[in-house]
This record gives sequence, structure tokens and C-alpha cells, in this order.
Amino acid sequence: MKVLMLTWEYPPFIVGGLGIACHGLFKALAEKGIKIYMILPTKEKVFFEIFSPLSADYPVAKMWNKKQIEPVPLKFYEFHYLEPESAYFSPPIKLLEKKIEIPKLSPKEISEVPIEILERINFILSQNDHLFLNVKTYTENVMEISEKIDFDLIHSHDWLTYPAGLFLKKYFKVPLITHIHATEFDRALGYGHPVIHEIEYLGLNGAERVIAVSNYTANIIKEHYKVPEEKIRVVYNAFFTETIPKKIKKFKEPVILFLGRLTIQKGPRIFLELAKKIIEGYHKKIRFLIAGAGEMERELMLEAASLGIGTQIMFTGFLTRTEVESALSMSDIVVMPSASEPFGIVALEAMYFGCALIVSKQSGVSEIIENAYKVDFWDIEKMAKIVIELLENSEKLKNLQIKAQEEVKNFKWSDRAEKIISIYQELFN
Amino acid sequence: MLYIIFYFQIHQPLRINKYKIFDINKKTDYFDETLNQHIFNKVAEKCYIPANKLFKNLVEISEGRFRISFSITGTFIEQAKKYRPDVHESFLELIKTGAIELINETYYHSLASIFDWEEFLEQVELHKNLIEKEFGMIPTVFRNTELIYFDKLSDILLNLPYIKTILIEGADKILKGSSPLYPRVSYNYGHILLLKHYRLSDDIAFRFSDKSWKEYPLTAEKYISWIKKLSLTEKEGKNLYLNLFMDYETFGEHQWKESGIFEFIKKMVELLLKEKNISFLLPSEVNYTLNYTPKTLFVPEPTSWADIERDLSAWLSNSLQWNAMKTCYELLKRAKEKNKKELINILRNLTTSDHFYYMCIKYFQDGDVHKYFSPYSSPEEVYRYYMNILSDIEERLEE
Repeated sequence: MKVLMLTWEYPPFIVGGLGIACHGLFKALAEKGIKIYMILPTKEKVFFEIFSPLSADYPVAKMWNKKQIEPVPLKFYEFHYLEPESAYFSPPIKLLEKKIEIPKLSPKEISEVPIEILERINFILSQNDHLFLNVKTYTENVMEISEKIDFDLIHSHDWLTYPAGLFLKKYFKVPLITHIHATEFDRALGYGHPVIHEIEYLGLNGAERVIAVSNYTANIIKEHYKVPEEKIRVVYNAFFTETIPKKIKKFKEPVILFLGRLTIQKGPRIFLELAKKIIEGYHKKIRFLIAGAGEMERELMLEAASLGIGTQIMFTGFLTRTEVESALSMSDIVVMPSASEPFGIVALEAMYFGCALIVSKQSGVSEIIENAYKVDFWDIEKMAKIVIELLENSEKLKNLQIKAQEEVKNFKWSDRAEKIISIYQELFN
Repeated sequence: MLYIIFYFQIHQPLRINKYKIFDINKKTDYFDETLNQHIFNKVAEKCYIPANKLFKNLVEISEGRFRISFSITGTFIEQAKKYRPDVHESFLELIKTGAIELINETYYHSLASIFDWEEFLEQVELHKNLIEKEFGMIPTVFRNTELIYFDKLSDILLNLPYIKTILIEGADKILKGSSPLYPRVSYNYGHILLLKHYRLSDDIAFRFSDKSWKEYPLTAEKYISWIKKLSLTEKEGKNLYLNLFMDYETFGEHQWKESGIFEFIKKMVELLLKEKNISFLLPSEVNYTLNYTPKTLFVPEPTSWADIERDLSAWLSNSLQWNAMKTCYELLKRAKEKNKKELINILRNLTTSDHFYYMCIKYFQDGDVHKYFSPYSSPEEVYRYYMNILSDIEERLEE
């Protein structure tokens, strides 16, 4: 089966968990014989063939006319689009008027994408907004590149690629799967951008199947986007790295880690409150690491510094993948206090690197893990109690770390890939 | 008589490395050698070498009537000797003319006077010893980092009886309308205070090449006409002291040579040398020329020459700066208790005010100036490196 994957992130271009999830998933799918064509928001019009696990690790670009250009690894591509010069008068995305070739696999019934929906998308993407114009450019490029690719199915990841998915479906008459890794409700905690909500709504409802990364997310899209239950399939994320986990003792004191973008969704402020509470009420010195970059960095830093406790609360700034793994290796306890987390791969990473874990109940990952504390994201009181209990009881801490490290081995991408393939198969005769 | 007192600040900090959290316990190269050397070389070419040449020439053609004062920090002298012996040599040559007075300050250009008086006195003495060793002079005039001054500072400096005079900022909030041309005496009658004439100083230091300034372009003639106007108000025959204090880097670095700054200062000095009622003076010579008893000046709150506020806010207006500085002095204290010589030296280099200047998040206009001088992309970035370094030192202190 040949799948056209539309995604906005892929290693080494990673902002959040999307790129990591795509990498793990695509690699496992390729191992099981799925042929993947991936189109990313690269500046040049290229696509990437992932036909083997190795090419999932090191995708090499192909031009849209299939002539293999020099094998340039993905990491050398300029990633985000430049703003189009004609930003103010950008013409609508054209639906090509070529006759359709029948795909090799014959799909079951495919829902029709009304032309009004595409017109609407054209309209909302044509406003003078940098991000939306990037989405529009991506959609146009995908239209152009995919014309020469032979595929049976479109698998589109998160709202940024949904417009492209809908246009392609209309044009090629192939089934569309939209994968939801995060909704605008999670990112913005409530009212998000109306246009993004609208694109999410159209993408989720215009697809043959919707894959949600957790029941938590499945409930959000059922409730807020009115996606019919029978269309939704839940496939959890998994975790994989080649690094062999080890512990590094960087500080004499125990280290408690927050790892994630510094945005309201991830709850860094809650972590800071937790740190304050523990520092006030606990007699021994502990280090708190706030790892990640984001728009809340300044306010968090100013507040942490205003406590005047020197180097007890430390900030790392943006971390590369290797640095993320180093940060986990030097930590004893990881707290993931996300206010709304569709999945939360960080939790699995933390377990893999032998950290004790506290996760918010408002997360997808809490549905599948056992050896972790699950707390409401606002319950700082309870989190502080758990942290202190673990620090006071090194046996218990060690035990939890070992169990977590053991448990995480159960979450394999190959199992997820099998589930996804079975969803693909539902769509064909 | 109107006396013109030129005083130039000469300083380069040891900028810190991009020291990541993962470098803790692994690396001890806290200072960015490459960057510091690069900047030193750049400024040497643009400013130190040509400016020294110009001023030496002016001293020689005036047969010593043109005279200026310098304060050269310890961190500058160390870097000059290490990176550019020719710059060090060129200062020596200039100083040998005898027309240069060297002023005492903290060796590390620090804000120790705010945080730790014992450390402050030690840094001032270290600097005094350095000046004596390098240039064979014992200073009698003091200037605190960035002209920071407050009443208590004068009290503390009474511990160093060789200091007679202090240079300070002629800030509006302390002068309250009176003129900076009259020297003052500190509230405890211990020191003579010379006040920077900030308008005429900043006309050269900040506004000289500003094309939106209504006086642009500034000519030597125009500038001298402003100077002459100053003495018109004095009817009682009192000597006036025009204190023009600025960074030495004004010449060629802050104001590029293309702006004509070198030609301007040369012309100005040449014209002034012809004036009968105007002459150049060194700060320590004020004592001998004063023909009246100076009035007392009260400065309860710290003033400085930085930013619009002329206070400590360039280095201590947000919690990042405050936490970083406080932690640094705490560790320094601990290092001294444990007599860890290497760490004491490193921590002292971390007391340099520039590190905190880079952490400043003030509003736009001043923020701009802070940004111009900062080699880091944001205050947050430098704070992270700085605190990582302190963490490493903290770990090393416990060994």
C-alpha cells in the first residue's frame, strides 16, 4: 500500500511531539511494507520516499518529477517558507482539471468533498497572515508535487496539512485519514484561533477516518468538532530511541525536571508553583530544571529569579534531541503538569530514561501508563506531597524508576503501526 | 577661569561563554576567549590605537597644556597585555608624557559598592596596586563603576585615605537646578566631588553623529561657543570646572571615524588652547585651583551615568540581574572563606557590571543601547549561561 503522508514536522525539524511521533510511526510502517511518500513544508518542491526503516531515519529528497536529485538529506533543506511576495493578492489554490487515473487499490465509498468547502478554505487561507499563507503555499506545493506520485491513500497530520489533504482528496478521489495529535483547544486552553478551529473541523469531518492519539483527544473531537464516533480510531503514541539510557549525576542534590515548550498548555507555571512550594516546605536542597523554550520564558524566569534562591531553579533554553536525552539522564523525577495534553510523549521518554513520573490526569498518556503518579494538573498540593515522599524514601523512588523503565518497553511503534495498517485496510475492498 | 577636565573610561569585560547546563561538572572555560579577543582587536583598531596617537600628538603640540585623565580597569589591562601588547605599549607611551592622570576604580569594574563593602575596598586596592605597578602612579582621585555614587560611598572610601576626590554624575535629581560647574564636597566633608556636565559630555558621546539631532552636524566652533556661554553666568570670579566625562570608546567605536569625531576633538582642543580664560586641568589639580569653599552635596540614593534614569536600573532593575548578582557575591564570600584562589579570581571577573547590563530588560530606547553592547541575543540567554557557570562554581566550592 502506498500512503501519501502530509506532515509539518519531521526530525531534525521538530517543534513539539508531532515530528517525533511521525518519525516513530513512519519507521514502523515502512518496516511493515507500507510505502510512504512524505511531503514537508520545505522551501523547495521535493518529497521524501520512506520505503525502509533506514530511510525513515535519514530521508532523502526527490524532486516532484521523480528524477532523483542529488541525495540531499532532509537536514540540509531550508524548512519554513518565506512569505510569498504576492501576499496581498494571492490567487486561490486551483483545483487542477485533469482527468483522474484510477488508483490501483479500489477504495470503498469515499465521501464527496463539496466544492464550497474548498472555496471556504481558499478564502480563509488568503488573509494576510504569515502562518496561513505558509499553509496555503504548502497546500499548493502538495498539489503540484503529488500529481506525479502514485498513492492509494492520504494520511494527513494535524490542521496545518488538512487543507492539502482535502484538496488532494477532491482531486484524486482517494481516501483521506486525518490524524489528530493536538487540537486548538489543547494549545490555547479554550478559545483558540477561530480559523484554526474551522480547519480542524473541516479536516476531521471531511476524512474517511480520524485517528486520535488518546481517548482524551477522541472525546474532545467528539464533543467540540462533532466527529461521529464510528469514524474515530484511537492509536496511542509509542516511544523509541537508539540511545542506551543511563543516569548522569550532575548535581549533588536531586533534580526535578519540567520538559516541554514554555506555553500555557504544558503547565510550566504550575511547575514553578510546585517548585516554590517544595522549596518553602522542604529542608533539603533540590534542583529544579525548566527545560524548553517558549513565549513564557521571560515571565517564568523573572518570577523564579525574584525568589532570590540562586541556582536552585534553572532554565535550559531550547534543547536539541541529544540535549533532551541528557536532561532526562540527569533527572530523578519528571513532572508533566500539562493542562491539556492529547498524548505527552515526554512521559514515555522520562520513563525510558529511568525517571520517576508525575503526570496530569488531563493527558492521553495517563490512560496507558501504570507506574506513574496521576494528578489533576492544578493539584500542586498533591504533587508536592508526592515529590517529597519520593525524596524522603529513596527505596520507593528507585523502585518506581525501575518499574517505569520496564513498563515503557511495552509501548512499541510496531504495535501502533499494525493498528494503523488495519485502519488503512478498513478503507479498501 | 574655566577649567576643562577630560576624563575617559577605558574598560573591556571578560564576556562569558555560551555555557550550557550540560557543561556543568565538565568544562571550566567560563569566559569566551575568542569573542573577547575579537572585540578587543576590533576596538583596538578603531579606537585605542588611533585615539592614543591623536591625544599624544595633542599633548605634544600643546607642550603639556592639554591634559586628560583615564580610568583603566584591571580587566582591560589584563586583556591588553594578553591580546594586544602594542595597545598596552601605546597607553604607556601616552602616560609617559606626564599629561595623563590615572584614576582609581574597582579592578573588575563591578558593583561591589552596592553588595559587599569589604569586597569593594579590596577591589579598589587591587586596582590601585595595579596602577602603581604598571604605571608607577598612586592615584588620588576615585571614580566608582559607571559613576555610581551615594553618600555612604564617601564614608566607605574614608578607609582609603589616599583618595581625595571622587568623580560623579551631575544628575538633575541631586543638583536640583544648581550648576555642575562648581565642585562640591561630600556630605561628610571627606571628599571633593567633581560633577559630570552631562549635557555637553553627551553631546559628544551620544549625539555627535545623530542625524536627527537639531544641532547636527556639530562643529568645534559651535561646541566652543557653548562652552564660552557657560562662564557668562559667573560674576564673582569663581573658577569653573567643566567636567567632560565619557567612555574612551566614544572616539572611533561608539562614534565611528567616518563621523569626523577625531577631526572634531583635534580642532576643538587646538581652538581651546588659544583661549585665554579656558584651560585644561587634571582632576587632582582641582584642590589647588579652587578659590572658594565648595558647598556640600547630599546624595542619599545611588546615582550613575547610565540610561535616562541615571540610577542603578541598568544593572539592577529586574530579578534576573538581582538574583545573579546576589548569588555571585554569596559564592565569592564562600570562596574567600575557603581560600579558593582560582575561584575567587573567576568570581571577581563575574562581578563585572557588564554581565548584568546584558540582562537588562528595560523599555525600548535604553533597551536599544543595551542591545547594541550585548553579544547575546537576549537577557534570558545570558542569564542562563551566567547561572550555569555559578552552579558549576557552587559545585566546585563544595569539593
